[in-house]
Amino acid sequence: MAAPVEVSPFEMIAYTGSRVLEDNSVVFVGTGLPIIAAMHAQLTHAPNVNMIFEAGSFASILEQGMPMSVGDTRAFRKACFAKGLCAAFELTQRGYADYAFIGGAQVDQFGNICSTYEGGTYLKPRVRFPGSGGAGAMAANCEKTIAIMALEKRRFVKKVDFITSVGFGDGSPDYREKAGVLGSGPYRVITNVALFGFCPDTRRMMLLEYLPGKSPEAIQEMVDFELVMAPDVKEMALPTEEDLHLLHTKCDTAGLFLKRKVVEK
Amino acid sequence: METGVNSKIVETTQVSKEVLDICAARKKNFEFWGPTPREARAAAVAKKKGLIDKRTTIKEAVDKYIKDGINIGIGGFVNTRVPTAITWNIVKKGAKDLTLSFQSISLCVEWFAGAMIAFPDMVNFKRVELSWWGYEIIGISPLLRHLTANEMIELDDYTNYGMSARFKAGAMGVPFLPTRCHGGSDMELVNRGAMIKCPFSGDNTYLVPASNPDVGIIHTSAADMYGNARIFGALCTCPEIAQAACHTIMSTEVVIPNDSIRQYPNLTEIPFPVVDAVCEQQFGGWPGAVYGMYWFDMEHFLQFRSLGNEFKQTGNTDKLKKYYEDYFFNCDTWDDFVAKIVPHKKLIEMRKNDGQQPIILT
Repeated sequence: MAAPVEVSPFEMIAYTGSRVLEDNSVVFVGTGLPIIAAMHAQLTHAPNVNMIFEAGSFASILEQGMPMSVGDTRAFRKACFAKGLCAAFELTQRGYADYAFIGGAQVDQFGNICSTYEGGTYLKPRVRFPGSGGAGAMAANCEKTIAIMALEKRRFVKKVDFITSVGFGDGSPDYREKAGVLGSGPYRVITNVALFGFCPDTRRMMLLEYLPGKSPEAIQEMVDFELVMAPDVKEMALPTEEDLHLLHTKCDTAGLFLKRKVVEK
Repeated sequence: METGVNSKIVETTQVSKEVLDICAARKKNFEFWGPTPREARAAAVAKKKGLIDKRTTIKEAVDKYIKDGINIGIGGFVNTRVPTAITWNIVKKGAKDLTLSFQSISLCVEWFAGAMIAFPDMVNFKRVELSWWGYEIIGISPLLRHLTANEMIELDDYTNYGMSARFKAGAMGVPFLPTRCHGGSDMELVNRGAMIKCPFSGDNTYLVPASNPDVGIIHTSAADMYGNARIFGALCTCPEIAQAACHTIMSTEVVIPNDSIRQYPNLTEIPFPVVDAVCEQQFGGWPGAVYGMYWFDMEHFLQFRSLGNEFKQTGNTDKLKKYYEDYFFNCDTWDDFVAKIVPHKKLIEMRKNDGQQPIILT
């Protein structure tokens, strides 16, 4: 039995992200933690997970280290297929991307995500964010959407200001069909202290796991809408020393993401 | 075909009615923010299409093709193989009343934005058709925040695929392409695409309008003097932008012989007639990365973003002005600028950091 290990918030997210990926699948990754999670999965339980990077790379070998961004030339190293954005998103639209790994500023109970603006209006926003980028098309057409967010009440909101990446919309069963999108939609939301899924009947966000030392009630306190509690809600698995060693020596070796500090609001 | 369809976003959107009405009017009275597909076709037809030596300087190409009021399509992706040298020359020359079109861009659009704030009488743009504008891991753009919060620019938001499909439609000579994204998001309501019920499958399907910029600006790995271009690493949306644009200014790291192009014709990503100017420019994508040539110079992104940030916080344009004066207006050429701002040792380091990605130049 290994001794308990100290785990930082971003290590927890990367490890949990790795854990939810199945082998022999394709994951469409965003910059940062998604790449680290997929690299860790490749090194452990899912050696045949392959990544799509939206600039146009598929199934590369990241032997030059973690790409700094999804457009990094290093993301193209020894790829099986290297084209452009059209090819990456058309493979996805066709059904060849199992997981989307996206982020955003706000998420609601139906897994809709905002990365366009916060406050003000679309035409005169208080804070304008970069915009959809790949996220909107990934959330539409990857088969399952995994979101990575910091768990804060201002981010887990009743209604997002603007739906950039479509989830289950208003929660109605035919929302995505009427939207004309093809993926099955939100699958997991990964945070440093909780792992969420979605209730199959209501499509509402459901607490699956919480960080040891927290409680379902404590997680509910950090969210601005009512969570569904999974019947078998349990503690999150913690990474082993070996997992942490891999994360730091094989994935984010410079500590660009794993060593960042969480800003307490 | 049934048009004027919507998903259930209309019932759940948080966007105010006032904004929705304005955006609905923008859809209803749709106008291309640049050449129409027919105008783009006419521009292609009017070109001399022989194998003509198109080598020139970026300055001459910019003088010839960049005019006030045009739509400029920017190639590359974020800071990968981006046309910084061409952008620099456009800002230096000055251009007003522009529309900018791109999927995801960082420093190139930041340079336009900073110039618009520091020297508004010289450089300004009114509209941006985009998917994403920012600095990735470094953060969001303070200049974008400023320009939008003060209603100084009009935006039209798509996904990265949406903007790529728009250029692809332009490149295909069709007025739109169907996509399976945007629907169900608020982009369905605010952008200028349209939901239809597909006449064949019956599915709701989202159409995005073609984008045919007046001028496409792209930077490529290698090209011959006629404009046949090779791209290694990410193609981004460069082949589509080049073919969609009425005119394309291409900078390239190295001009290679036509013999080499003909030896491996499958490697040509952009065919010569769509290119109007071939400008050999080493480090023409600095401080971005060019696969097989050099990796990012992160320090410069941080430097420019901090100038934008300081302006956002203080409203003072002095430092931005000085940056443009020192590095744009007081440098004759891109080579002078790069020599002034980047130590030679660092350029060597950037080449080393590429890690010798394999490319074919012979």
